[in-house]
Amino acid sequence: MRSNRTAWGLLAPTLLVLGFAGLLPFFYVVYVGFFDWNVFSKTGDLVWAGANNYRRLVFDTEFLAALKRGIVFTLWTVTLEMVLGMALAQLLMREFKGKSFFRAVHALPLTVAPIAVGATWRLMTIPGLGPLPYYLRRIGIDYNIGRYAGQAFATTVLMDVWHWTPFVTLTLLAGLTALPREPFEQAMVDGANRWQILRHLTLPMLRPVILTALFLRIMDALRIVDEVWMLTGGGPGTATRYVGIHVWRVVFPKTDYGYGSAMSVLLLYFTIVLCWLLLTAITQARRETD
Amino acid sequence: MLLIACAPPAAPAPAAPAEEKAPAEEMSWWAKAAEPYKGVTIKGISESTPPSKYMQQVLAPAFEKETGIKVEFEVTSWDQMYDKEIKDMESGTGIYDFVYIEQDIIYAYLARDFLVDLTNFMDEHPELVYADLDLDDFTSFIDYFKDDQGHIYGLPFEAFLKVYLYRKDLFGDPEVQAAFKEKYGWDLRPATNFDEYAQIAEFFTEWGQEKGLELWGTTVQAGSHPAAFYEMAETIWPSWGVYNWGINMETWKATTANGGSLDSDKAKAALGFWVGMLKYAPPEATSSTWDEVAATFAAGRAAQGWVYGENAAWIATDETRSKVVGNVGVALPPTAPGVMEEAEAGKGYIGYYDGGALGIPHSSKNKEAAWLFLQWVSRKDFQGDFAAAAARIVRKSTFDDPKVKELDPKVDGYFTLMKEKGYLFAGAPPFPFHAQIREVILPYVLKAISGEMTPEDALDAAAQDVDAELIQLGYGQ
Repeated sequence: MRSNRTAWGLLAPTLLVLGFAGLLPFFYVVYVGFFDWNVFSKTGDLVWAGANNYRRLVFDTEFLAALKRGIVFTLWTVTLEMVLGMALAQLLMREFKGKSFFRAVHALPLTVAPIAVGATWRLMTIPGLGPLPYYLRRIGIDYNIGRYAGQAFATTVLMDVWHWTPFVTLTLLAGLTALPREPFEQAMVDGANRWQILRHLTLPMLRPVILTALFLRIMDALRIVDEVWMLTGGGPGTATRYVGIHVWRVVFPKTDYGYGSAMSVLLLYFTIVLCWLLLTAITQARRETD
Repeated sequence: MLLIACAPPAAPAPAAPAEEKAPAEEMSWWAKAAEPYKGVTIKGISESTPPSKYMQQVLAPAFEKETGIKVEFEVTSWDQMYDKEIKDMESGTGIYDFVYIEQDIIYAYLARDFLVDLTNFMDEHPELVYADLDLDDFTSFIDYFKDDQGHIYGLPFEAFLKVYLYRKDLFGDPEVQAAFKEKYGWDLRPATNFDEYAQIAEFFTEWGQEKGLELWGTTVQAGSHPAAFYEMAETIWPSWGVYNWGINMETWKATTANGGSLDSDKAKAALGFWVGMLKYAPPEATSSTWDEVAATFAAGRAAQGWVYGENAAWIATDETRSKVVGNVGVALPPTAPGVMEEAEAGKGYIGYYDGGALGIPHSSKNKEAAWLFLQWVSRKDFQGDFAAAAARIVRKSTFDDPKVKELDPKVDGYFTLMKEKGYLFAGAPPFPFHAQIREVILPYVLKAISGEMTPEDALDAAAQDVDAELIQLGYGQ
């Protein structure tokens, strides 16, 4: 009894901080989502709207288009990052000349703030100034992410992959390093090839780490704002106006706090559901395999 | 080359304000008035523009030296500035003692009662009113910072026109003139209407291609940024005869069916024209805001364009940042038939009279010290240097300042044009919902730029959405 009390006493400050920093703002956002509240409306009042903001969302083509763009962006970036990250982590498990240097250089993008990443890529891609348009034009490619939607989308994907693949690599590398050696040695003795070892040993044993990296990247990619904002401003047109940027424009410049809050809550719900579905699918597949 | 041109505007040359020329008793008034606030630190925020940098780097240090009041003057991007100052005033945290109030946003600030009524403040603190403040000497631009009762909420520090700049060297080149005349059948001169503008744009783009020059026919402020909306709403639409963003201020509606004009044929033609100019604009146009457009023109990459006047002086005179020094022509922007006549009659306007003031938020903890600073940057005897450094004029007397008169020919009569033709331009309409409606129209303008939608479809949808949004905001039920 006493030890329970002591434990709760020791936990109390942490719970208090978590409550204020995590739960309170979350419940406030949920609360505001049930109101019409634009501080620059004629009255500026908070007006009860019930579920109206959520009803609006279902028919809001701009929001749905932004959400779709965000999902496509997430699919591309996370897939590329997971595949590349795994390949690089496997590579770094081996010994080769310059490995330490490569690992340090590879991790460098992680140290750069997202806003600086966006600014750097913007400088690299500005027509008439940046090296990318210059060199691509020399090989006959008209590269202008302010004008061509496909190029803008591809560049945002490339930038995100450049920035976050090292995170996946290092996470998976830590997981690989922690795996026991015996099953691998035994598999090699039994004559298993690399693909069989990867499929039947590495991936299953690394599953918790892979899932952690995967979910973190999905959540980050779905809510991306700053890097893309700096690089394309959401354009050309609305081609890279991903859902995070759309929510930001509704909440801040448009100051439509009620509707923006509803969007945020729905986005959070959507992310949780997506991760849960993925987890269920992976678990199901694993069970069927076993 | 372009790297230099695309760099953010450097601080204006720190020409010392004329404080050393001021009479001793005048200087002592500042020191005496500031005595109770000596040692206080006031903090302010403004947009990163030549006038703000001049205040930050020249006027604020001089104020500190004279009064002992420390000034922390934050100069940041336009988006950041709004974000920071609105949040500060909204939550009442009191971080900022003075804030930049752009002419277009003041109506929203007044609706939210963010700002100190300076008329009342002066009545309450007559001992803090500088004898030579002379509010009557401000140009009519100060009227944009008054409420219905004529009370002032900000002292203007910058005001300029968005003018038409063109390359005098190119327009005056006999070879160019002959080729142009042969192709279009009329003598090359600054465009006065949109047909002329389009032909000039086409001609110079082709000329650049033929001669292997990095030269295009026009600037277009078409980045995925609110700047694209502003070029349409403040410059292009008015010059086609679509005023107040196409919103009828009696019915509070934008659709033609409800008395507005945002989806009118004129508005669609204007957007179609502007989007059509992209094929004659340099490749960076679709990434350009106001700063980049000025940099493009200064780099000699465009033969003509719409450029904010705050940049006119440095583009025309600063050889360290501009490749077109001595070759900048300044003129009124082109207009559609009948628009100039409407503007002359006071029934319309041909472009944007832009600018801003410094105001004091209610949340400020150092209102008195901030008020002294506001007056300091408005001092008549500082205005000549200020205008020369940043091409802005807010006082009538500044037009007659010797430094301005000396500079005027170098910027091809920009200041004279501002003095004599400024009345043809207008500020933004008095919308308390300025940013909210901008955010409704902006995506459609961007979609027209990218080709996602035709100008016609974009404006049909935009007008419908504006009508709905205005109802949501409590207007035009």
